[in-house]
Amino acid sequence: MLTPLFIRPVLFVFPLLVSLNLHAQDVVVTSSQAQSNITQSQEVTKLLQKMASIPHTLNYQGSFTYQHKDNPSLQSFRVIHWVQDGIEHERLQHLNGPEREFLRSGKAIGCASLGDQLLQGKIGQLGANLARMDQLYKFEIRGPERVAGREATALLALPLDTYRHSSLLTIDNETGLVLKSWLVDESARPLERYQFIDLDLSPDVDSIRQQPAAKLQRSATAQISECNPSDLKQSEHWRLAWVPPGFAFAGQRQVRDHIDMMMYTDGLTTFSVFVELATGAIPEGVASRGATLAVMDSLVHQGKSYRITVVGEIPVVTAQKIAQNINGL
Amino acid sequence: MTEQIQPPVLAESLSALMDNQASELEIQRLLKALDASPELKSTWSRYQIASAGLKGELPVIASSDFASRISAAIDAEETYTLKPQAALQPEANQADSGNVVVMPLRWWQQAGRVAVAASVAGALIVGVQQYQTVAPQTAEFAVNNAVSAPVAATETKAANLPSGINAPALSARTVAVQSGYESRPQENRRVMFVPRQEAAPIYNEDVSTYVNQLIQEHTDNASINSGQGMLPYTRVILVEEE
Repeated sequence: MLTPLFIRPVLFVFPLLVSLNLHAQDVVVTSSQAQSNITQSQEVTKLLQKMASIPHTLNYQGSFTYQHKDNPSLQSFRVIHWVQDGIEHERLQHLNGPEREFLRSGKAIGCASLGDQLLQGKIGQLGANLARMDQLYKFEIRGPERVAGREATALLALPLDTYRHSSLLTIDNETGLVLKSWLVDESARPLERYQFIDLDLSPDVDSIRQQPAAKLQRSATAQISECNPSDLKQSEHWRLAWVPPGFAFAGQRQVRDHIDMMMYTDGLTTFSVFVELATGAIPEGVASRGATLAVMDSLVHQGKSYRITVVGEIPVVTAQKIAQNINGL
Repeated sequence: MTEQIQPPVLAESLSALMDNQASELEIQRLLKALDASPELKSTWSRYQIASAGLKGELPVIASSDFASRISAAIDAEETYTLKPQAALQPEANQADSGNVVVMPLRWWQQAGRVAVAASVAGALIVGVQQYQTVAPQTAEFAVNNAVSAPVAATETKAANLPSGINAPALSARTVAVQSGYESRPQENRRVMFVPRQEAAPIYNEDVSTYVNQLIQEHTDNASINSGQGMLPYTRVILVEEE
C-alpha cells in the first residue's frame, strides 16, 4: 500500500524551516535511492571492507580536530602511521597544551582483529550465531563529501536496536581512512566528533622515526588479542549472560595486576568489562566523560564481593543491563 | 490534541498521501499545514508508525523524531562539495564573504549541541553514596583549582536535572575564559559520576582516577576493534601516573 516515496517520514515531520523546494528535491532523491538499494548495499560493504583493511598498510600523517560533549574547546591532534618490515607503527600527538603522545607499534600487517573481521563481514568462519553488520545497523550513504581536501563518502550508521549509538563516518575514497566521524546518542545529541584537516600519504618516515617522543607519553599495547580469529571464544572466569546482539568476545587480559578485563566488539562499537575483588565499599553508579561511559556495579560470587565496571561508547541502558547480567564461573 | 480538531479535508489528504494518491496541490497544502499544526504532524507520525509496524520495519522508524533531529544536525553541518560553476560567477567574492559571515553562526549552533552551555574541560565528576566523605576531597580539589567557587555551584545546579550524563555541562562557569582556552590535563581528568541513589553528579577523586584508568585500558580494545586506528586515544587523558 505504500510506495518508496514515504519510507522516510523524517522529511515530513521535519521542523518548521524546510521549504517546499527542499521537499521536492528530497522526494526525487528518495525514490531513486530505493531503486538503487542493492547497489548501495554493495557500496556500503565495499566501504567498510576498505575502512577495515587498507589503512593498516599505509604510511600517512594527518592532523585532525576533536571535540566532545563535555568540553566545548576544540582540541587538535596529529596522527602518524607507518609500516616498516611488515610491522605497523603509530603515534598520536596532542597539538594543544603540554606535549603528550601515545605510541603504538608491533602489530603485523595482515593481522586482522576481530573488529576488522566483523567490519569486513567475515563472520562465516566465526559461527552462525552472530548477526551481520547490516542486521545491526541501517547503513545509508549520504553522498560524496570533501574533507581535508580529499574526496570521500559520507556513511550514516543508524542502529536497528537501542543498544548502541549512531555514527556518521566520512570515509576517504582512496584509502578507506575515516576522515570525519560523529558519534550520536539516542536523543540525537552528538557525543563526540573529529575531522581531519589535512592528510599526507607520503610522509618522511625516516625523519619521523628520529623525532623524539614527547616526555609525557604512553606506549599502547598493539597486541591485545588474537590475529585473524577463526572461531568465537568465551571468557574464562566470568560469563556475560547478556550482551546486545552482534557483540562478540574479542579477548581477555589482566590489567593493573589484579583486574580481569573482557573485551567485546560489534565491528563499530566496543565495550569492555572489568571485574576485581573488592576491598571496601563499592561505589555504584554511572560515570562518564565525552562519549565514554562507565557503569559501576557490585557482584557477590561465592561469598566474595566483586567490583564490576562496564566501560564503552554505549548507551547507559546497555551498560547497566550488561553489568546486571554477569555471573562468576 | 486529537484528530477531531483537524479539518476533514486535511485528514483526507493525509490519508491520500499515505497511499501515494495525493495530488500536487494537496501535497503543498499539507506541507504548509504540517509546519503550523503539531496535531497534524503527530497524526502523520502515527500513520507512519502504524504502517511501519505492518511492514515489520518498526525498530528503525519508531523514533521519527530522533531521525529528524539527526537529519537536522547533519544538515546544519557545513558540507563542502564541488560547486560546478557557481564559484566562477562575478559575484563569487561576495558569495564567499557571505559564507564567512554565516559560518560562525552555524558553528555556534552546532557547538551548542555538542557542548551545551559551559563546562570545565572534560569534567570527571564523581558521586558516591557516602556523601560526607566527598566533602573534604571536593575542598581539596577546589584549592588546586583557580576557579573554586563554581564547584559548589555545579552541584546545586545539577541537582534538579534528570540523572544523566550531560548534567555537569550546565555549570555557570564562563566557557571562553576558563575552559575554552585551558587545557591543563589535571582539569581534563575529571569525569562525571552520578551515583545510583543520587540525582546530582559529584566529584570523587578515587572514582575519577579509577575510571580514567579503565578508560585507558578500554581504549586499547576500542582502537583495535572499532576500525578507526589510534583515534579513540583522543578520549584518554594522559597524565603522569602517581
